[in-house]
Amino acid sequence: MVTLTVNGRVVQAQEGEMLLEVIRREGIDIPALCHHEAVEPFGACRLCMVEITKEAWDGWTNHVTSCLYPVEQDLIVSTHTPKVNELRKSVLDLQLARCPNSPEIRKLAAEYGVNETSFESKPDADNCILCGLCTRICDKMGFNAISTVGRGHGKEIAPPMHEAPPDCVGCLSCALNCPTNVIEYSDVNGKRTIWGKQFELIKCSECGKTTITREFAQALSDRKGIPIEYFEKCDHCHRKELSLTMGQVAGWSKEVQS
Amino acid sequence: MKSRLVVTPIQCTGCRTCELACAFAHSVDGKPGKSRIYPLPGGMKDLYTPVVCLQCDDPACMKSCLVDALSLNEETGAIDLNEEKCVQCQACVAACPFGCSLHDQKNANVVKCDLCGGDPVCAFFCPTKALEFKPVTPTKRKRAV
Repeated sequence: MVTLTVNGRVVQAQEGEMLLEVIRREGIDIPALCHHEAVEPFGACRLCMVEITKEAWDGWTNHVTSCLYPVEQDLIVSTHTPKVNELRKSVLDLQLARCPNSPEIRKLAAEYGVNETSFESKPDADNCILCGLCTRICDKMGFNAISTVGRGHGKEIAPPMHEAPPDCVGCLSCALNCPTNVIEYSDVNGKRTIWGKQFELIKCSECGKTTITREFAQALSDRKGIPIEYFEKCDHCHRKELSLTMGQVAGWSKEVQS
Repeated sequence: MKSRLVVTPIQCTGCRTCELACAFAHSVDGKPGKSRIYPLPGGMKDLYTPVVCLQCDDPACMKSCLVDALSLNEETGAIDLNEEKCVQCQACVAACPFGCSLHDQKNANVVKCDLCGGDPVCAFFCPTKALEFKPVTPTKRKRAV
């Protein structure tokens, strides 16, 4: 166990935990766009910056990304000092210059008093902040369908060669976890389109409700050994089936008892 | 000896108290959440059976989770979902052969029975003891003749 101070409160933390986890557990709200518990911390959005110091440091302070900084004994953490706020403000100013039309970034920037960017906005702006959360989740799930492409101002998130990614199974994890909701997809008439690839959604064999894509079910079946027929029905029809089975059991025992 | 949620369908009257209790126990921001338990008609007139996660020994939901958001809680015996880790791919919803991993469309997340951390409210409020949370000894499976 490690003892540290967060905003004047003495807290306990496990060895090896990151500062952000401790701060969130204490109920202190600090912005973090690129963070997700499912994947390793990355430190891309730079919004979870905090000020750290120690008694032994003679008044010196340091500014670190809390998602990547492991807890230390006797560390003194401040999350909302004027300097930290100023740092976040300039990061948001830059992000607003990159994504002037993103409602999520605009809202966050407005909270820190940035209504218009002081830089020149990107001319062909999209809403991607290049945090790489989508690619990290895709890698974690073991599909590796998308990645960051190019360098510098030409960097972007894209499938290989900008073509329909062969490894994508259409699970939608990238799009649903994007902090700025920039990844476009559509579910129309039992077909899902994402990254320029079309997938067929499995239709429940009883009620016709669509569930996950056939490719995703096949991947789960191949990798995890789940029988493919489990995916043929929707969750509600599965429940109905279970209730009928239980009813049969109950009805049968009723006959026996009487 | 592990406690289990024991369902006795013959005692269920279909009063849906369990559903109400579950929704309130899993409320989100002060609003009732999606119930994890459903009394559904069991195929006979006036016969209802509560359908709830059975916390399988070899759970398909846990196997299907590619980000390890589902894990066995050794204390309660429940398969717990870590909502922070969940990426909402809905693999578990599709994979469960009993349909007991649910997708809550209102709050855009996946929910499943967590046995209320060791004291299920549905069993507590069930007026007819159709739902009971009690220790059970594993019985040998009888062979069908």
